[in-house]
Amino acid sequence: MNWPQLLITVATIGSIFGVVTLALNLQYARGGMINFGIVAYFAVGAYTYAIITQPPPKGLDQYAFGLDWPWWAGFLLAGIAALGFAALTGWPTLRLRGEYLALTTFAFAEVFHSFLLNERRIGNGTVGLSNVHRPFGDWGPIEEKYVFAGAAALLLIVTLAAFRQLLASPYGRALDAIRDDEVAAQSSGKPSADMRRQVFLISAVPVGLAGAVYAMFTTLAQPSLFTAEVTFVVWIALVLGGERSVYGAMLGAFGLVFFEEVVRALPFETVRSAQIAASVEHIITGVLFIAVLRYQPFDRIQRKVRAST
Amino acid sequence: MTGRDHARVPTQLGSLLEVNGVSKRFAGIQALGGDDGLSFQIDRGSFVGLIGPNGAGKSTLFNLLTGVLPADAGTIVFEGNDITAASSHQRAEHGIGRTFQTPRTFESLTVLDNVVVGATSPGERLRSALGRKWRRHEAGLVEQARDILDQVGLADRASEPVGDLSGGELRMLGVARQLIRRPTLLLLDEPTAGVHPLLQDRLADLLAGLHRQGMTLVVVEHNLHFLLAIAEHILVLTQGRLLAEGPPSHIRGDPAVVSAYLGEDHAA
Ligand SMILES: Nc1ncnc2c1ncn2[C@@H]1O[C@H](COP(=O)(O)OP(=O)(O)OP(=O)(O)O)[C@@H](O)[C@H]1O
Ligand SMILES: [Mg+2]
Repeated sequence: MNWPQLLITVATIGSIFGVVTLALNLQYARGGMINFGIVAYFAVGAYTYAIITQPPPKGLDQYAFGLDWPWWAGFLLAGIAALGFAALTGWPTLRLRGEYLALTTFAFAEVFHSFLLNERRIGNGTVGLSNVHRPFGDWGPIEEKYVFAGAAALLLIVTLAAFRQLLASPYGRALDAIRDDEVAAQSSGKPSADMRRQVFLISAVPVGLAGAVYAMFTTLAQPSLFTAEVTFVVWIALVLGGERSVYGAMLGAFGLVFFEEVVRALPFETVRSAQIAASVEHIITGVLFIAVLRYQPFDRIQRKVRAST
Repeated sequence: MTGRDHARVPTQLGSLLEVNGVSKRFAGIQALGGDDGLSFQIDRGSFVGLIGPNGAGKSTLFNLLTGVLPADAGTIVFEGNDITAASSHQRAEHGIGRTFQTPRTFESLTVLDNVVVGATSPGERLRSALGRKWRRHEAGLVEQARDILDQVGLADRASEPVGDLSGGELRMLGVARQLIRRPTLLLLDEPTAGVHPLLQDRLADLLAGLHRQGMTLVVVEHNLHFLLAIAEHILVLTQGRLLAEGPPSHIRGDPAVVSAYLGEDHAA
C-alpha cells in the first residue's frame, strides 16, 4: 500500500468533506436545522466552478456555457452561487421544522440531481463536465498534489476559524438559545426566523467553495459524483465525530474518508473480493453509525471533560 | 451602557398599554374575551395584579400581549404604537418582557449565560459577531448578570449547567433573564409558585424596587397574600372576561369577586 499517496488523498478529500461536515454541524447542531440535501449546495459549487472556468463549447460539446474565466473567479462565484441556491431553497422550506425540513431539502437535492442528469446545456447531462480547470500546478519543488492538499486544508482551516469565531460570539449564544427554546428566545428579543435563515445561507458558502475545490481535484463535475450518498456520508461523519463540537465533526469526516480510502487501496486478487470489500465497508460504516447513536461515546467524553474542569 | 442604577423615571403619565376588544379561541372554545372582546388599560409605572381561577385566560392574555400567540380580534397598543401585528421578538425589543408559567430555560447554556442571553448584545448581529467590538460590551453584561443573579439568590450557581437548578430556582432564573433587559413592561406569570417563602419575600422586595424605579409590572398570582400586599391595582379575570378591577382593598370587598373567586375566608 502506498501510504504517503493515501495520506495525501485523505488530507485532500477529508478537508473538502470536513468543510461540508462543519457546515452541517453549524446548521444542525447550532441552528437546529436538518438538511438532507447538502449535496446539492456542494454540486452547485462544483458546477459553477466548472462552467465559469471552462472554455466556451466547440465541436461536439453539448454544454452551452463556458466563460473561460480565471480559477479564482470560478472559486468565488461557486460560493456565491451556493449562497444564492440556499436563498432560493431556504425561502420556502425554512418555515418547516425537523423531519419536514429534512424531507423537503432531500427532495430539492433529488430534483436538482435529476435536473443535472437531464439538462445538457448547463452541465452536459449524465456525462457531466470533464477537464475541469486545475489551477495549481507544481510549485517549484512542491508537487501539485501537495499544493492541492494544502489548499483544501486551508479552506478547512479558514472555515473552521470563521465558524468558531461566530459560535463563540453572542451570535452563537443566541443561536443556542433559539435551538433550546425558540419561544423563550423570542421573548428575549432574538429574531429566530431571521437568524435561522442567516445560518442556512452563510453555511452554504463554504459548501459551495468546497464543491469548487472538489471539481478542481477530480477535474469533473458529473451527476454521479453528487448523489444522495454524499449527503449521507457527511451526515454519518457528523454523527460519528460527535455533532456537539466542530472538532468532532471534522474528525468524523477525516476518519470516514480515511477508512474508505484504505479499503479502496487494499490490494485485491480478484474483482470479486474487491466488490465484497466494498460491501463490507458499507456494512462496517453502518454498524459504527448505529453504535455511535446507541452509546453516544462523544457525549460521554464531553461530559467527563466538563466534569473534570 | 444601560446602567442598572440609572433609575427609570416615568417620562409621561397615562396609559402604557391599551388592550382593545381582544379575543382568543382554542378549537372553537372562547378562552379570552367575551362577545365584544377584552379591553383594559395599564398605566405607566403601575403595579398591576392579575388574578382569576384556573383556566380564566391569564396566561393566554400574556401570550397575546407578547405575540407568542396571535389574537383572533382586537388591537394592542403599547407606548402609542399599534403592536398587534408585531412579532414576539419585536415586542420584546419594544420593551415588553415576560416570564412563563412553566419556566423556560436554555439547557445548553450555564446559569450565567441564561441571564446574559436575555440582553440584546451588539455581538448578536452577524456582522459584529465576526469582529471584536462586542467583547467590551460583553464584560458589562456579565457584570450585570452576576449582580442580578445575586439579587435572586443564585449568585453561587452562576457557572453551573442550568439543568442542575430546582423548580423554584428556575423560576427565579426566568425573572433574572428579564431583569437584564430592563423592560418597560414586565409580565410575570406566577413568579412565586414553588418558591420558598423567604425567597418570596426577597422577590417582593425586588419587584417593589423595580416599581419604584418606574418599571410597569403585571403579575399573575394565585398567592393573594403575596400579591395583594404589593400590587396597587388588581384585575380579576374569569372565563376570559374582566370581572372587576380596582385597588386591592376594593377587590377584597367586592361581593362578585368574593363569590366568584376569593372564597368566603377572604371576605373578612
Ligand atoms: N395553546 C392552547 N391550546 C388550546 N387551549 C389552550 C391553549 N392555551 C390555553 N388554552 C385553554 O384556554 C383556557 C385559558 O387558559 P390559560 O392558560 O390562559 O388559563 P390561566 O388563567 O392561565 O389558568 P391557570 O391559573 O391555571 O394558569 C383554558 O381553558 C385552556 O385550556
Ligand atoms: Mg396560567
